[in-house]
Amino acid sequence: MKSLFLLVVVFVAVRSDNDDHAARLLASKSILNQFIVEGKELTVEYSIYNVGSSQAYNVELSDSSFPEEDFQRVSGSLNVKWDRLAVGANVSHAVILKPLRPGYANFTAAQVKYYPTEESQAVQVGYTTAPGEAGIVGLKDYERRFSPHIVDWATFAIMTLPSIGFPFLLWYRSKSKYDVKHKKN
Amino acid sequence: MATSTKILALAVLAVLPLLMNASTCIGPQVTSNVYTTSEASMSISTVFVVEVAVKCNNGEKDLLLFADVNGHMVPATQSGTGKFQVSWSDEHKKLPAGTYGVRFFDEEGYNAVRKEKRSGTDGSTVTPIFTVNVKHSGTWTGPYVQTEFVATCVALLVWYMAYRSKSFLMS
Repeated sequence: MKSLFLLVVVFVAVRSDNDDHAARLLASKSILNQFIVEGKELTVEYSIYNVGSSQAYNVELSDSSFPEEDFQRVSGSLNVKWDRLAVGANVSHAVILKPLRPGYANFTAAQVKYYPTEESQAVQVGYTTAPGEAGIVGLKDYERRFSPHIVDWATFAIMTLPSIGFPFLLWYRSKSKYDVKHKKN
Repeated sequence: MATSTKILALAVLAVLPLLMNASTCIGPQVTSNVYTTSEASMSISTVFVVEVAVKCNNGEKDLLLFADVNGHMVPATQSGTGKFQVSWSDEHKKLPAGTYGVRFFDEEGYNAVRKEKRSGTDGSTVTPIFTVNVKHSGTWTGPYVQTEFVATCVALLVWYMAYRSKSFLMS
């Protein structure tokens, strides 16, 4: 019985020894848009969470999945560094881009590089989650569905003016003639 | 003997601040670029992005910045020498239109704010290296009234006026 107990204690001690004092980063990448429209802003948010038991050093986030000819950078940088990420730290980073062409786009993962401990020489490479494939709607299609169409309604109002205005004009002319006659009487 | 040790002590004291790696910025020249979400359909939460380029008079290159964002201290990311970015997001309702002051601190300031927060105060007495004012004009969630609704109302109004004058004539 005693030997069994000792065995369990040793097993538990060994298991907890495997839990090194090292940082472990989980990273996510998400697109915050309801609609991705050509020529309108595309909001990309990255979140990095340190679930390890040590600070992460020299954390570098780099995203090369937005080529310059397809996405124009509006705000934010696609290659950023954090000097240190404390244990349990949850940081977020946002980049605003503008898609230049409609069509299907595959949003792939960004890369996260960091040093798990202060003394480690080997850099740890990880990847964020990938939002996947999404369609970039053309601007004309989006406006057809969502814009207020003020000019279209104004044109419609002007076009209905003849069919309403003409009979009204006739009535008004006859009414004013009748009124004059009444006054004369 | 005593005076020489005194001189040595003074010399060491004079040199000490230079040896300490306290990366502070003296006389920062800041250029900032701010973005806030303008349309709600382009983002499910309002996102603020503040990009700053800092040049220090003392030529400090290893500056570490922390920003106080809505009472929450976040480290600023570095996207090049002297270029930093701070971004945060929240629900549209929680970030209404207005001016938000983002205070930037170096490591010393950051530790001072943390100490103050631990002792209960909100850390607003610590002076930041610089502050950036973010003007948010609100996130547009659509027009108050749809144009189709306005057009329908106008059409009904015209019809009603015609109907009234017709019944007046007929009576």
